[in-house]
Amino acid sequence: MIDGFSFAQKELLIPVILSSLLVFVAYLVKERNTRSSGRFSLNSVVTFVTVLALMCIVLEPTKEVEMQHQQGLLLTNGFAKNQQDSLERVYKGLEILEYNPKKSIRTSLDSLTSVLVIGNGLEEFDFYKLDSIPTAYLPNEVSSGITRLKFTQRLNLGEDLIVEGKYDQPKKSSFLVLQDSRGNGLDSLQFSDASKLDFSLTDVPKVRGDFVYQLVEKDSLGNRVETNPIPITILEKEPVRILILNTFPTFETKYLKNFLADEGYEVTVRSQLTKGKYKFEYFNTKASPIYQFSSETLKQYDAVLVDTETYFNFGKSVKSNFENSIRENGLGLFIQPSELLFNLGANTSYFGFKRDGITEVQLLGNTISLKKYPYNFEQEITVNPININNSGNLAFYKQLGLGRVATTTLLNSYQLLLKGKEQEYAKIWTHILDKIVKQKEEAVDWESQTAFSKEGEPFNFELRTNLEELSVVNNEGNRVPLLQNSTVPFKYSAKTYPKKVGWNTLEVQGDSATQFSYYVYDVDDWKSLIASHKRAANAKQFGNAIKENRAVMVNRPISLLFFYILFLIGIGWLWLSPKFSAQS
Amino acid sequence: MESGKIYLMKFQKRWQLLSYAEAVLYALGFAVLCYFITKNIVISLVTFLIGLLLFILIKKPWQHNLYSTSTYVDAHVSEASFSTGLLLQPEDSLSNLAKLQRYKVSEELTKRLGAITPPNALKQAFLVMLGCIALGFVFHKLHVFNDVDKALNNPKNTEQIQFVATDSLLEKSSIPAIEKQEIRVTYPSYTRLGSKTTTDPNIKAVTGANILWNLQFDNPVIEPVLDVMGELKPLKKVGADYQIQLPLIASGFYSFKFKNENGIEFTSDLFSLEAIPDNPPEIEILGLEQYTYFNFSDKKVVQLQSAITDDYGIDEAYIIATVSKGSGESVKFREEKLSFKETISKGTKSTRATKTLDLNALKMEMGDELYFYIEAFDEKQPKRNVARSETYFAVIKDTVGEQFGVEGTLGVDQMPDYFRSQRQLIIDTEKLIKDKPTISIHEFKSRSNELGFDQKALRLKYGQFMGDESEMEEAPAVIESHEEGEDHDHAEDQENMLKDFMHDHDDDNEHNLVEQHEHENENATEPEDPLHDYLHNHDNPEESTLFEESLKTKLRKALSIMWDAELYLRLYEPEKSLPFQYDALKLIQEIKNSARIYVHRIGFDPPPIKEDSRLTGEIKDIKNYSKNESKEAENPFESIEEAVSRLEQLVQKKGVYKENDTALFTAAGNELAQLAIDNPGKHLQVLQGLKSIENNTGRTLENYRFVQKGLLLALPSTPQVPGSEKVYSDEINSLFLKQLEVYD
Repeated sequence: MIDGFSFAQKELLIPVILSSLLVFVAYLVKERNTRSSGRFSLNSVVTFVTVLALMCIVLEPTKEVEMQHQQGLLLTNGFAKNQQDSLERVYKGLEILEYNPKKSIRTSLDSLTSVLVIGNGLEEFDFYKLDSIPTAYLPNEVSSGITRLKFTQRLNLGEDLIVEGKYDQPKKSSFLVLQDSRGNGLDSLQFSDASKLDFSLTDVPKVRGDFVYQLVEKDSLGNRVETNPIPITILEKEPVRILILNTFPTFETKYLKNFLADEGYEVTVRSQLTKGKYKFEYFNTKASPIYQFSSETLKQYDAVLVDTETYFNFGKSVKSNFENSIRENGLGLFIQPSELLFNLGANTSYFGFKRDGITEVQLLGNTISLKKYPYNFEQEITVNPININNSGNLAFYKQLGLGRVATTTLLNSYQLLLKGKEQEYAKIWTHILDKIVKQKEEAVDWESQTAFSKEGEPFNFELRTNLEELSVVNNEGNRVPLLQNSTVPFKYSAKTYPKKVGWNTLEVQGDSATQFSYYVYDVDDWKSLIASHKRAANAKQFGNAIKENRAVMVNRPISLLFFYILFLIGIGWLWLSPKFSAQS
Repeated sequence: MESGKIYLMKFQKRWQLLSYAEAVLYALGFAVLCYFITKNIVISLVTFLIGLLLFILIKKPWQHNLYSTSTYVDAHVSEASFSTGLLLQPEDSLSNLAKLQRYKVSEELTKRLGAITPPNALKQAFLVMLGCIALGFVFHKLHVFNDVDKALNNPKNTEQIQFVATDSLLEKSSIPAIEKQEIRVTYPSYTRLGSKTTTDPNIKAVTGANILWNLQFDNPVIEPVLDVMGELKPLKKVGADYQIQLPLIASGFYSFKFKNENGIEFTSDLFSLEAIPDNPPEIEILGLEQYTYFNFSDKKVVQLQSAITDDYGIDEAYIIATVSKGSGESVKFREEKLSFKETISKGTKSTRATKTLDLNALKMEMGDELYFYIEAFDEKQPKRNVARSETYFAVIKDTVGEQFGVEGTLGVDQMPDYFRSQRQLIIDTEKLIKDKPTISIHEFKSRSNELGFDQKALRLKYGQFMGDESEMEEAPAVIESHEEGEDHDHAEDQENMLKDFMHDHDDDNEHNLVEQHEHENENATEPEDPLHDYLHNHDNPEESTLFEESLKTKLRKALSIMWDAELYLRLYEPEKSLPFQYDALKLIQEIKNSARIYVHRIGFDPPPIKEDSRLTGEIKDIKNYSKNESKEAENPFESIEEAVSRLEQLVQKKGVYKENDTALFTAAGNELAQLAIDNPGKHLQVLQGLKSIENNTGRTLENYRFVQKGLLLALPSTPQVPGSEKVYSDEINSLFLKQLEVYD
């Protein structure tokens, strides 16, 4: 209202004015006949003032005043009572507020000049409520439990599930057990003393699908103390088509092709018999001899395995076909090494080598030694290691546009098979090929923005897609509104409110292949972890320095006594006035 | 006897009877309560008896004898005036007054005793009994102890084959139950175990046993079948029973299926069939070294003791003894089958068999070897199991035999034999020194002189290699003359010596000797010249290419040492000669060793291939070769994996059970059954769980969880398989990757 005046009962303003006007008009009409007497105008004025006073009594006018030192203390989950008490002792007149994400505290916050937050802090999505108020957060002490956790939420079958984290103040000789969705123990560790905080548990999941693994804390007697879910989505790798080109047949190729063909993959092997004559072997694919390496032919394959002699004896145009396919289509190229490769020079061979003179390498924890070429890779920015042994220096790939070129210094890896280490052999080649094979296109890429979504709380996610006019539906079948990024048109962000605990899904309407599962945690899951996340977020948002008070203007109600008196006087006058006039 | 005493005795009888009755009432009460709890008549009977005994022991009714009775009567019947005891005493011993009193009491008691009852708690006992019965009745009505009842009255519930309808919706219709269930396992006759009748449907028996199931149902059933690992075998109706007989061949699982009159299908749980293989006999040879050596003069006897055991009975056991005579190519074998000293009776499970092997009886001579082992058979039908013990050896040492050993690295045995005769000379000289005291001086000198001659001959032979032509001509003549006269063996040796120099085409090493081929023809014409092959230049002995320069000096040195050795032998001082001989031997050894290197040097060295001429040959006849092969990726656990995924969905209530899930779970069950055959104990429960999902009797969350847990455990670790990931490729990332290379 004007100049800091306002009414407490704003909503009654119009009816009150109208009715007041009505009363006033009624007075005028009624007193019309006393116009002759000189008091009419005076009475009219008195009546107007009286009605005005009455109006004010009903509307309760307020006046804006500046507040000083009206501090609030916001108690959030997990606050310490003695902290509250000591704060109350220091700051007199603290207004105590209790935080509950389901209830609004906005109105009570309005009158505060600053707020202190204690406990584990506010939910992130409620930060905006304190935007305009200087707020300080006094974080709780770190409680015992898991305070940091990292695990791969989506992984491919055959890959390791690694659960890493930090456990604060573990009880001595208590256990941490990783269990699968049905409680079979997979990996475990025992805290030998309180100093061991970081943990890492590993397992290779066996089946694809959405599973809720469990991280169980057990005391030293094996009694379950706490169980927390680890939701993971296990996907299956897509089969690949592979072309192998050799100048002459080698054992290395023979075993490699058998390994791939046994998995049911489409493998074509071309090894040279003599000039212009080749031996073609086709596994799980139709026979189609390859003589020319055009981009079209290469497009059929996800990866090409070629020996050094063949590849570097190709003519310029063939080689540029290869490089084009790698750069533009993401073809993977693996060069089977020979001495020639190491002497070619970095410009030709994609990789820089330096001689290290080591001809043997120990694998599998020194149980097996394999021969290698006495060279090592030179590290460059686009050259990355492939982790096939622990030190990860045996195989490298180089990013070439969208595709990759890889090679290894390992010699005769098939020796592993002969020594009966099939699994190790499979592991080495799986790691190498996984890194280089052409990646399959996916229509939609989903990314969760909320680490721990809870029932009824917002779940933020982003998606990237080239689809036009898409709409996303959640598992209740409701459409989720998408917000398109203004600068990156294929990027969208959105928010949905999951309604059930457990797996929830999102998908692009009409395309179930794009389904994305996310897990909604129960209220009690990961308490210490979520609390620690929250503490960190709150500390980052608010800081713990006590801030300057803001100036808060508060509408103070004006005492109604004055209006009552005015009304009484007015009414009194109007009652007395005819009496006076009758006397006179 | 007067009536008072009779009455007293009657009273005592009554008292005892009442006490017994009390005990009976208590016991009955508890027995009834027990019956209500257990619903088992036997247990309640036992309780009754025990209770009765217990209460009788507490009450001790036999303690109520006449004296206690009289005391009681005294206390309770005032008319007896404490004189009942008089009735028990013989009348004669009493005073007159006592007799009078006795008579009075007797009269009184006759009147009174009928009216009083002995002390008893009959009412109390009756109330307790009633209370027990009432309590039992309440328990019965409220089903408080139903579990106890079930556990006790169905002791066979694990064994009794239970049926469930595959369609749970129609479960209201009556389920035919088995009235009589009899499984007869007939063991193979050779096991002598006869047959066994059991009610436990989980069968464990020896392979080859015959199993007869005999089932009788209370309601008529249609088409009952036995489902063994997916193979359906109908049951035959024999009278009121259904029967099926099967031989037990391999481990597996089975269940029964049938329909009732309404056409509803029922199926039983899965039961295991475990075939225990009949193990082959075990043979243990006791207290015998694997190798036994005998000198020719020893008593050549081997005491063979063995213990043979079999799980069902031994059929036959014997010793196979093989004697080998001779060595090398002329080796001959003779095999004999020997029986044990004891006759082994057929069917014994364990026996000790012994045999004394006399090598002389086996006509073994020096150097012969005997190999023997025991072979034992059991009685398994149709094919007997056979077991063999390890082979043992008995050897009669041949002290005469000397063997020539070729070192493994030596490709060619080119060196003449007489290199070794320096060693022989040493041995002979040592023998001579040893024999010196026993032989005559003449003989000693003569032998010493002969050795000196041999030493000379040896020296001359080596001289040949040096190209000492002057002596070379004369030496063979001397040797020959000498040998003819004296030692035939030596002559043979010499022949052998020559043989080594000749070109022997049968020699295995022939192909290694490139140079020899060049002289092939010459050899044929000049067989006498043993050194021809080695000499390229006959004219200049110093330029003989046979040995390297250093070798020549060594050989020279050896020759001069041999001179000295010969000298002392000729002087009849073999002791002094011996050190020279050793020196000579050492040098000759060294020369021989370096000769090995010589042999390697003349090995085949192929000419280098010219790279530029490679792949330039005529290739018009060479065709492309094409091979096409399809391999199915075999995943023996595919359905189990699928089932685990599907179960996870069902557990998370993402979907409801669909009809095609049944096929999936059946397939998973078949895969698991393969695993379970090896390990029935581990997977049987899971398999049963799977079955119950399949036939709609266990489609509960709990069962889904249980089965999924079991399946996850059964799955082996994930194989590593390469593949490509699904990734969203966006333009910005692609651009970035392309640009990355530009600035590399």
